[in-house]
Amino acid sequence: MGNIDKKFKKIKDDIQNFIEPNIHYCYQCGKCTAGCPLASDYKYKPHQIIQLIKLDRIGSIINSNSIYLCISCEICSSRCPQDVNVSAIMNYLRVKGWQMGIYKIPNISIFYKLFLRIVGKLGRSYEPALILGLNLMSGKLFNDLDIAFNILRKRKIKLLPEFVKDRKKINQILKKYI
Amino acid sequence: MENKSQNSKLNKIAYYPGCSLNSTAIDFNVSTKKLLKILDIEFEEIEDWNCCGTTPAHNISEELPIILSARNLLLAKGMGYEDILSPCVACHNKLHKASKIINSDSELKNIRDEKIRNSVFEKLEDMGFDCNQSFNFKTYSIVQFLFIKKDLIRQKYEELKNKIDTEVKLPILKNLKPVCYYGCMLLRPKNSIKFDDPENPTSMEEILREVDIKCKEFQFKTECCGAILSLTHKKAVLELSKGILEEATDSGANSIIVFCQLCQQNLDMRQQQINKYYKESYNLPIFYITQILGLALGLSYKDVMIDKLFVEPKYLKESNI
Repeated sequence: MGNIDKKFKKIKDDIQNFIEPNIHYCYQCGKCTAGCPLASDYKYKPHQIIQLIKLDRIGSIINSNSIYLCISCEICSSRCPQDVNVSAIMNYLRVKGWQMGIYKIPNISIFYKLFLRIVGKLGRSYEPALILGLNLMSGKLFNDLDIAFNILRKRKIKLLPEFVKDRKKINQILKKYI
Repeated sequence: MENKSQNSKLNKIAYYPGCSLNSTAIDFNVSTKKLLKILDIEFEEIEDWNCCGTTPAHNISEELPIILSARNLLLAKGMGYEDILSPCVACHNKLHKASKIINSDSELKNIRDEKIRNSVFEKLEDMGFDCNQSFNFKTYSIVQFLFIKKDLIRQKYEELKNKIDTEVKLPILKNLKPVCYYGCMLLRPKNSIKFDDPENPTSMEEILREVDIKCKEFQFKTECCGAILSLTHKKAVLELSKGILEEATDSGANSIIVFCQLCQQNLDMRQQQINKYYKESYNLPIFYITQILGLALGLSYKDVMIDKLFVEPKYLKESNI
């Protein structure tokens, strides 16, 4: 078994043993997918992802867009008649994808890195830098300019950053994960 | 250190604003604080609080969001508090999860969760915290907190009713025909937060009833607005949020009341974009529940920062308040 296959096998085992043992009870009713607000954009829908896990196709899931688009609204887990915590499974796969360096949606990965780097430097988020940074990095410099204008006009944004005294220690911890 | 949280009546709490409440959700922050003052609730902002990491931290690691939130919990403990109020629902979600991991009486599901707890304690000790003590943190979102204080709200309202001339009652309240929109984060998963009903919640409506505000029936109470995708996948948010505005209008409402600033921003800041994209003409002000309660309990439009709304209530332009 190749290295990456071993990793995928461990992910499947972890899901079935620790993250959500109830996965065995899924009978493919599809309620999770029916409630998912983003299912139409997913390559594999939530109920299909559950089945793919059981069929040893973790690689297919991690290399497709679903888990990275998922916004953790938890409607799936909420609706499941068998109490399968679909959301926890999606989240675990997403975290594993990140740790393996696979994050299929570049915009989102850029956003997370930028957000956490700012938090690392300041200890808190800083919206002006976040919004500007996102616009620059995604190449859409004038994205949402109308909203930005109104935010400034209504003085609805903090223009000066805030610093946490212990930010160095926070940064040390953050650096291990980004 | 005096344990200020021994007061089971919740009259003294630690306050965790989170990053956006100091910035693009300043109206939520200010209206909440002013409302707490009217209700005679003493609150202290957690000193040197850090960002909870919200979605980015949660999506790249299991431990990181817990470590970041646990630091805030321990800071509160250092100030003598174990009851924490967090208006931001996302922050509250993370604080709540962290409290479930580090609380002394928490039953962890399996050895994996125990490993996570030990690792979190290790990192906290590295930061200089003493983890060798008993923890019993209770975290509250604003709706949970206000629901607990329902009777107090009614009491204050009755007291003020006699003082405020009901004829000059603020036009916003007089003409309010709202629906309550709950969003995703607070009520799910139902086994975790254990508050209200995840499919047909009524806590907001019940709170508002205490100040004589009647809400319309609404079928989209917990439909997702698109949340953080606002920054990376705008189209999804426009579509999801448009659905909510449409359903609110069809329900006969002229406004929406929320308690999540991400929902508020998607529905309010993007309403003009939604109108343009879908060739609609929605004009629904999106109020924070703390703004409406504040107004009902005698605060002015300026006090609760009504002017920060992108979609301004018509009456605001007509009146001079």
